[in-house]
Amino acid sequence: MICSKLSRRLAAAAIAGAIIAPATSHAEDVTIGLTFLASGLDAAEGSNGWALVSHGIAEQLFRVSREGEVVPNLAASATRNDDGTWTVELAPDRFFSDGTPVTAEAVAVALNRTGEANPSARATAGRLSFTAVDDDTLTVRTEHATAILPSILAEWAFPVYRMEGDAPIFTGPFAVKSFQPGASIEMTPNAHYAGAGARSDVTLRRIADGQSLALAFASGEVDMAFNLPVETLSMLETTGGRIVSFPVAYQYMMWMNTRTPALSDPRVRRAIDLAISREDLVTAAQAGVPATGAFAESYPFAAEGSLSHDPDAAAALLDEAGWTPGEDGVRTRDGEQLELVLYAYPQRPDLVTFQPVIRAALTGIGIAVTTQVTESPSDVAASGGFDLFLWAQHTAPAGDPGLFLSLFFETDAARNYSGWSNAAYDSLVAALRAERDPQARIDLARQAQEMIAAEAPVAFLVTPEWHVGLSPALAGYEPWGSDYYVIRPDLVTGR
Amino acid sequence: MTAAAVQVLGRLALSWLAVVTAAFVLLRLMPGDPVEVFLAQVNVGAGHEIVAAYRAQWGLDEPIATQFLRWLGGFVTLDWGVSFETGRPVAADFAARLPYSAAIGFGGMVLAVTGGFALGFFAAHRPGGPADMLSRVLAVAGQALPAFATGLVLLWILGVQLRWIDVFGGGFIERVLLPTLLVALFSLGSMSRLTRAGFVEVKGSPYYRTALAKGRSQAGALWHHGRAAGVLTLIAGLAPELTWIIGGTAVAEIVFGVPGVSERVVQAVNHRDYAILQPYIALVALWVALVMQGARFLRRTLDPRLP
Repeated sequence: MICSKLSRRLAAAAIAGAIIAPATSHAEDVTIGLTFLASGLDAAEGSNGWALVSHGIAEQLFRVSREGEVVPNLAASATRNDDGTWTVELAPDRFFSDGTPVTAEAVAVALNRTGEANPSARATAGRLSFTAVDDDTLTVRTEHATAILPSILAEWAFPVYRMEGDAPIFTGPFAVKSFQPGASIEMTPNAHYAGAGARSDVTLRRIADGQSLALAFASGEVDMAFNLPVETLSMLETTGGRIVSFPVAYQYMMWMNTRTPALSDPRVRRAIDLAISREDLVTAAQAGVPATGAFAESYPFAAEGSLSHDPDAAAALLDEAGWTPGEDGVRTRDGEQLELVLYAYPQRPDLVTFQPVIRAALTGIGIAVTTQVTESPSDVAASGGFDLFLWAQHTAPAGDPGLFLSLFFETDAARNYSGWSNAAYDSLVAALRAERDPQARIDLARQAQEMIAAEAPVAFLVTPEWHVGLSPALAGYEPWGSDYYVIRPDLVTGR
Repeated sequence: MTAAAVQVLGRLALSWLAVVTAAFVLLRLMPGDPVEVFLAQVNVGAGHEIVAAYRAQWGLDEPIATQFLRWLGGFVTLDWGVSFETGRPVAADFAARLPYSAAIGFGGMVLAVTGGFALGFFAAHRPGGPADMLSRVLAVAGQALPAFATGLVLLWILGVQLRWIDVFGGGFIERVLLPTLLVALFSLGSMSRLTRAGFVEVKGSPYYRTALAKGRSQAGALWHHGRAAGVLTLIAGLAPELTWIIGGTAVAEIVFGVPGVSERVVQAVNHRDYAILQPYIALVALWVALVMQGARFLRRTLDPRLP
């Protein structure tokens, strides 16, 4: 801990020193520092698909827009047929970076290969089978019926590519010039992508440590530093570069284990939810905005309004539930004290920062809280061996609310960590699963969030923010889309 | 001689097998399921079916004894499998990264040994003098300073303030220069203290005093009569340091963004990527056994009186 503090201070001092020399770039081309990099170029392996799309190398048939909507990309449209299959029409005049056109046959070969090799491509609707009908039309058969194929095709597992021998070729705005695994990717504008002339060569450099990334930005070695630690920001702001903070969809939340005697009562869970000040959590993390529900506010299906903070109402609910204050301030019922164990995990440091804030808030209404940190959150959450569990989750990675609302809250769902069961909610989510009309889906998603809020198996806390350093060369760049779309067609240098 | 060599080799092989077997079991006792960690990292909302598919793909659905035998057979035939996280062949991944780690580790150690030996000699020659003080400061600093923070300071001074080198964007030499300095800095003090101890012991010996009485200079007598003792003590201390050449470079690789083996292993620990961790442990175990045996052989050669 001491080492960690010392290293942070030294890093801050280092950055302060760097202010003397403002950030500038050495070369015409752009260098971007990231804490992650594609491990390989085969989109069917591991999580390469994600990184390749994020790097601007690959594209899917559909993507999630800045507004959080699923929009066509390499596809022009997707229509559900009466027999449950889908027809996908490709957008005209799209090419791979070697100049060959994107055809239905090429898409079918690539996505069938990915479906065979990568289990993540089978996560939402089982195995998808693609068949080319003609040059521009595909039929897609899904193992499990789905109303949201465009959203599934926007998942990271579905980039389109063409294998030339062992080398994959993609369609994104940038093409790979050279690739050093774990270190860097040199990219050149894809000459067959609209607007190629306005783009420069881009080098992606992996700098895994955030403090080192900040120093690389301060030294001018990178024109963009993506996802800077919050403690480096105040110093970096005066280096001549621009720091942009943007909300990301990795919602912070707190599961409440409804299987425990105390938390089986919705009044106790509601009281806990009301006792927590989201503003205090934002202050503690030094970034973010209070959550309004399960989804970041940029999504059309995000809950509206704000979540209440009312310690008096919380205390009243506990009184009503039979938990009365004891002599030591801790509430008791039938001789048993209201004591809860609150877990967090260090992989998301903000969650550990939240622990004392939440403990103080709950102590204020008479709940004794013990904090624990675990290295293996999934194991603890799945075992049910917790009372309260702070958690970070991207709740709509493919621009659709259905998966999160189903997978984490339906009675028999694989990740129903809180153990909550509500038949009306299950029916609502079943209706959401079958619904095809976008506006109706939004309405159902909001209703589902209202039902969750009413019984509070989870407390949604904060929508976090990430921070990006931009040199003058990239002054016009606006980050959005978390880490799913870092390099986009609009990455144009200002030099 | 042949029997002795067979005995040594047999002992090495058994030790290695015991270590890799224990490591195989201990890795699987680590909290955190690789499939769950992977799915959480890539935001795949997977049900039981997909979890089972990954388990089957990664060979985690078999009994642990079967997994071990399969891994062992693959390892000795150089088929090290593919990384859970990236899908890349482990052997190719290690081969691409090894030059960085080896350059940093060996380069740092060569700097530390040569610098430490020289500093130790001068420290023994003039106890309490500037070289002795420097040696003491470096030894204490090596123990007390966090390597991570020291690396950031090096980065700040040479990469940000002075801008002498492109720390992250330069060629191979530029990439490994600062990490090598960092590794050397943290071993220099201990190397010099070890060497100093060897030389100081000689200063109390009758043959050293005789050499002085014959009119040799203090430095000349110390070098002539003490260097073997200095080398012997250095070798004794060097063997454990050498065992950490690969593992000990992790901090340097992470701070300076070098794509070495250690940096990859740290990443693999976070992802519970057994496919990377297991061959790494096997290689380190082999390296440790060989270095220890080599050091023992060298010391016996230099001083046949040693057991």
